[in-house]
Amino acid sequence: MTGAIPSIALVGNPNAGKSSLFNALTGARQKIANYPGVTVERKAGHASFADGRPISLIDLPGTYSLTPASLDEAVTRDVILGRQDGEKRPDALIVVLDAANLDNHLSFALELLALNLPTVVALNMVDLATRDGLTLDAERLSKELGVPVVPTVAVRKRGMTDLLAAVDDAIRSHGAGEVAVPAKANDASLHQRARTIARAAILSETPVRRWTQRVDNLVLHPALGMIILLALMFVMFQAVYAAAEAPADFLEGGIGVVQQWVVATFPDNFLRGLVVEGLLAGVGAVVVFLPQILILFLFILLLEASGYMTRAAFLMDGLMGKVGLSGRGFIPLLSSFACAVPGIMATRAIPDEKDRLTTILIAPLMTCSARLPVYALIIAAFIPNTNVGGSPVGLQGLVLFGLYLSGIVGALVVAYVLRRTVAKGTGAGFMMEMPRYQMPRLRDIAIGLWQRAWIFLRRAGTIIAMTTVVLWLLLTFPQAPEGESQVEYSVAGRIASGLEVVVKPIGFNHDIALALIPAMAAREVAVSAMATANAIDAGDDEEAMAQSLGERLQGKWSLATALAFLAWFVFAPQCISTIAITRRETNGWKWPMFMVGYLFLLAYAAAGITYWTAVAFGLG
Amino acid sequence: MTALLENVLDRAPLGVAVRIARIDWTAMSEDEGRRLREFGLMEGCEVTPLHRGSIFSRDPLALTVGRMKVIIRARQAAAITVESAA
Repeated sequence: MTGAIPSIALVGNPNAGKSSLFNALTGARQKIANYPGVTVERKAGHASFADGRPISLIDLPGTYSLTPASLDEAVTRDVILGRQDGEKRPDALIVVLDAANLDNHLSFALELLALNLPTVVALNMVDLATRDGLTLDAERLSKELGVPVVPTVAVRKRGMTDLLAAVDDAIRSHGAGEVAVPAKANDASLHQRARTIARAAILSETPVRRWTQRVDNLVLHPALGMIILLALMFVMFQAVYAAAEAPADFLEGGIGVVQQWVVATFPDNFLRGLVVEGLLAGVGAVVVFLPQILILFLFILLLEASGYMTRAAFLMDGLMGKVGLSGRGFIPLLSSFACAVPGIMATRAIPDEKDRLTTILIAPLMTCSARLPVYALIIAAFIPNTNVGGSPVGLQGLVLFGLYLSGIVGALVVAYVLRRTVAKGTGAGFMMEMPRYQMPRLRDIAIGLWQRAWIFLRRAGTIIAMTTVVLWLLLTFPQAPEGESQVEYSVAGRIASGLEVVVKPIGFNHDIALALIPAMAAREVAVSAMATANAIDAGDDEEAMAQSLGERLQGKWSLATALAFLAWFVFAPQCISTIAITRRETNGWKWPMFMVGYLFLLAYAAAGITYWTAVAFGLG
Repeated sequence: MTALLENVLDRAPLGVAVRIARIDWTAMSEDEGRRLREFGLMEGCEVTPLHRGSIFSRDPLALTVGRMKVIIRARQAAAITVESAA
């Protein structure tokens, strides 16, 4: 064990508080990547022993046993047994147990202990166990299991130090003994032993406090619970609008100031154009939406950390069961509201193959945050900022809610059809543990938000910046002669003119045709593309440059066109990352191609119907 | 072997503790059976069904097993025969 940095894996049942413990041990020093070949997230981080020697920690997906039921559970088994590509077998295990759920979690712990790896047990969330009226004897548990047991509470530093010290000792004192292969344990006898040990370790037990049950009676009420869920979703989408306005304006103003400064400071040349019209206009138009994306993720993280998310899955299971999905699919689908990529990755927790495939195929119909910039721009420009009939409900927020709802309804209909045609199968199951309610930990939320913000900004800095620059070049050359529109005359403009023929029937104009192609890279590029095109159009006209993109579109588009454009983006499969992840998750091109095809058809039809209806009502 | 309807977990009244008398493992897949056991649902253990479905459906069923609350579908609950826990 000398020389190399010891690697230590955190392993345990779902809801054992592993991730909080991982965050507490590593702080922000963590890296999220994928295991090669599978899209299960690999969460690794750094920490150090008390004397400063570095260690590397891996957080493995929660599972109930070494016999996996789903893809992510398989990774846990493979890593522990040293069979996972790109990961050496861990030098030690930290088995995380929920102190309040010992009899259940000990079964898996016993299975892991039989492997004879250096192991330390973290008796986690002892604070919650106390809240629930449990007093535990850690020493007795340690004696029964034959390994060190350290009581931990993820917010307290003390347990972490003790935990790492125990791991250090365990690695040192572990002989070069053979590492055992997993015994084919009879699970009934395993559970029996787990229960006996748990009973020995529990000193006293008072009846469970009742308030959580009262909350569940309300939240899981057949009708009331549904209303609460809908209300929560509604508040979430309103908040995305209301709370993000000030910081978004601030960012927008900041970018404008930088643009004007560059224009005023540098001579008019190729490079200045590229920076001002390409990079700043394009990337800036997307970065402005960071506050909204963070607010959306904040809600999702809070719902997840508090334990509510599983309740939502419970409520939605009945409805989703009707179209052949399961409540399991609710969590990936809700994540898809932030981004379909992690959403599709989260489907690996769905055990049923056809259920999973259907969930993957409809995930892009959930309105992801990349669509938010497009929606936000068009709504702000075309939908009046008033309240509906004197109520506190804003019309803009309501339209946004309607767009989200269209995606959801569309997804349910598509799922229904798919489950009866291409993804036929037996009724999917739904078995899940309901975590206890918990106060979300500030650190966990902050780390989660930071990771999302970083991923978004990195995307803006790479994919979006690159497509914007390429687009700027295509828009700038060849130079238009005097009196002709540069945008129309350029290479990009000519390509767009070709595409315009196809999309003209559904009300799309040249602006949109131009934005659609680069938006294949990422949906929000539609916004940066229009921003870049308009910036080139505006040239050095200071008045035009001061005008926001929304204001300029207002003058050029009809309401019918704007609405058709919104309808298009509810369905359009415009994101290369989503197509790529679908290919990886389904092991081939068949399903991503199917997905792209059906989504484009739906998008075209939806935009068309919206446009023709709006024109019929005189909005053209 | 079909159990009397009144005696299966799926039909048991909410909020009342019952003991699992028998589980018809053949009524479910191997994976489902294992997951049930991993949840601690085995012959002889006590469970309390607590919540059932939403306005849309009777599915799923939430019950407590020991200190844990788990969700299963009605189809599995129908394969679990229960008796009074008294």
